[in-house]
Amino acid sequence: MGNLIWHEYARYVSITASLYTVWAGFFALIYRKFFWDFVSGIVRNPGGLQPAPQDSIFITIIVKAPILPIFSMLLGSTLVALDYPAPFLKGTSIQRSIVLRPVLLILQAFLAILFYQGTNGAIWSLVATVCYGRALALGESMKEAKDNKGRSGGA
Amino acid sequence: MGESWFHREFLSARRLSFNFLFYGTHLFLFAYGWYSQATNTKLAALNGLKFSVWTSRGAGLVLAFDGFLILVPMLRNIIRVVRPKLTWLFPADENIWFHRQVAYSMAFWAMIHTTAHYVNFINVERTQVRPELALDIHYTQAGGITGHFMLLIMLLMYTTAHHKIRNQCFEAFWYTHHLAFFFMIGLYSHATGCFVRDSANPDYITMFPFYSTEHCLGYESWRFTIWPGIIYFGERVYREIRARRATRLSKLLVHPSGAMELRIVKPSFKYTAGQWLFIQVPDVSRLQWHPFTITSAPEDPYVSVHIRQVGDFTRALGERVGAGPSVVAALTQAAMKGGEKDEKMVDGGSRGDFVELDPASSSRPLPVVRIDGPYGAPAEDVFNVEIAVLIGAGIGVTPFASILKHIWYRQRSGNLGSLRRVEFFWVCRDAPSFGWFQSLLQEVEAAQADPNFLRINIYLTQKIGEDMLWNIAVNDAGAEYDPLTLLRTRTMFGRPDWKNIYANMATAITSGQYIPGASSQLKTTVGTYFCGPSVLAKAIKEATVEATSSSINFTFAKEHF
Repeated sequence: MGNLIWHEYARYVSITASLYTVWAGFFALIYRKFFWDFVSGIVRNPGGLQPAPQDSIFITIIVKAPILPIFSMLLGSTLVALDYPAPFLKGTSIQRSIVLRPVLLILQAFLAILFYQGTNGAIWSLVATVCYGRALALGESMKEAKDNKGRSGGA
Repeated sequence: MGESWFHREFLSARRLSFNFLFYGTHLFLFAYGWYSQATNTKLAALNGLKFSVWTSRGAGLVLAFDGFLILVPMLRNIIRVVRPKLTWLFPADENIWFHRQVAYSMAFWAMIHTTAHYVNFINVERTQVRPELALDIHYTQAGGITGHFMLLIMLLMYTTAHHKIRNQCFEAFWYTHHLAFFFMIGLYSHATGCFVRDSANPDYITMFPFYSTEHCLGYESWRFTIWPGIIYFGERVYREIRARRATRLSKLLVHPSGAMELRIVKPSFKYTAGQWLFIQVPDVSRLQWHPFTITSAPEDPYVSVHIRQVGDFTRALGERVGAGPSVVAALTQAAMKGGEKDEKMVDGGSRGDFVELDPASSSRPLPVVRIDGPYGAPAEDVFNVEIAVLIGAGIGVTPFASILKHIWYRQRSGNLGSLRRVEFFWVCRDAPSFGWFQSLLQEVEAAQADPNFLRINIYLTQKIGEDMLWNIAVNDAGAEYDPLTLLRTRTMFGRPDWKNIYANMATAITSGQYIPGASSQLKTTVGTYFCGPSVLAKAIKEATVEATSSSINFTFAKEHF
């Protein structure tokens, strides 16, 4: 029972996941670490985990130059702008597209899972993806906002 | 709208003191947690991590405090018992509001705590102050596992608790919020991994709590935070037991307006006027409890609730008892026709009578119902004030059914407390939809011996077409009863001007016209009890504040759903 409108619910999950990812991406600029470096990496004392040589591509884009976290932050900001929505996007066909969001969210999950701080952001993005997927499966659509809404408030 | 954020949070004494105490305590605990970690010589190795560990420990202490507080406002039965004694101290009816404030604070400090720990663990790995990886702490130790798990639960609980989702699909909120059970387990076991220790490896022991307090130097906060959890759990068990006590649905009446009245007999159920209960119909749903206002007075031999078929649950219930939408629609039409007939009006009757559903005529007997409650509402305090102003807007009029009935019973037995007069306002968009309430008002109005005791004011706010206008004008002139409500009281049209109403009342009271002898009293208290939308509540509250003077104290209380 109950009639949950899935894309309206997914919106809250997506905003939360994207904000988390932006915050995680910011900290990934300061404390740079490749999440999967434990795979055949060696531990040095002190110094911590030394990633295996085959990870060098990830080390380049996450540790040496944090390109990936920056991308992740940009993508996260885009998703927040899309879902909040930002004033300039409100009512546009992009903003009302449910298909676009799971695509971006999966990409976000993929980027976030690669750096140390991003795991929760990635998992939450996948939760949001599932919710949007459910909305798609049910054939939900976002209605165009009515412009002729009267001013509310006051009694 | 209207007042600014600053105005609301800082310029009213009550809110200011709340903000000061609530956030002050939080900041103090954060500072204390920070200080106690930074100055603890036993934890010198951990303090090598510097700011991040001080921050995480400070925020951890705040979160323990919030984990304690979050369940306190949900102890409904305890609140119901203590609230009459403590209304002066804190607004016990704002428990959900308080629950939300704690939750917001918890989300904020969880962010601080988690962020700090991400920094801690990466530094533990780099410096190898302990021989472990960041990944180990995150995903193999109790603290990390429960922490991530609690964050995920928080994501689900917070998002489904959004008011939009709650209105859309209450079940999604209701079921998801029971993840709180696992959240609390996570909270109580969060420190069992012994992260805060003065040894390189955790010092586990075989006895409860499975780590030695000699080397594990956490706050041991679970010793405190677990109590609201245990009490809450006990309360849920108690509610379940109480709900299983003998309950019988004795009668089911369908009113012409479409409202179903359930008359339930449960001898063990004691309540006061204006309270509400949870009802469960296992035939419709075994798990769901739905809140309804009690519409009978405590003096009645039964407990009644009026249910309109507006949502999933109420419609399913209607179908179950054989009062589906079609039946109700037919009844309503018949009733409206009846109301239009002149002879019916002359009878001084009502808009058609209610119909009792006879279980013998249908194939299925009346369903089993279970009720849980009662739970508090501010309107219990009506008898402590001299003048009670009861304002119901729309469906918010329901608690006043019970209160008016109760006042009527008390009036008959001459036991009114300090109550001298009652002003009842009913602001409603379309009167015909509340037919059942009219019949109740009629009874109460007809029973009034003292014309000055109860005054009924009905405001109809819908737009009125020309036809209806003339219809009213023709029927109203010279008739004994109001054509719309069939009460002696005339219906007023348009929105009430609250400031004017309260100003007039204040003048009448000070000049002694309102209650004889009232001017000799030191102070008159006029209690306003409101149930309805919050915009209206704000307008009325402003009016009460404006009208308060040295000799008259206007108080305001709002009911929540």
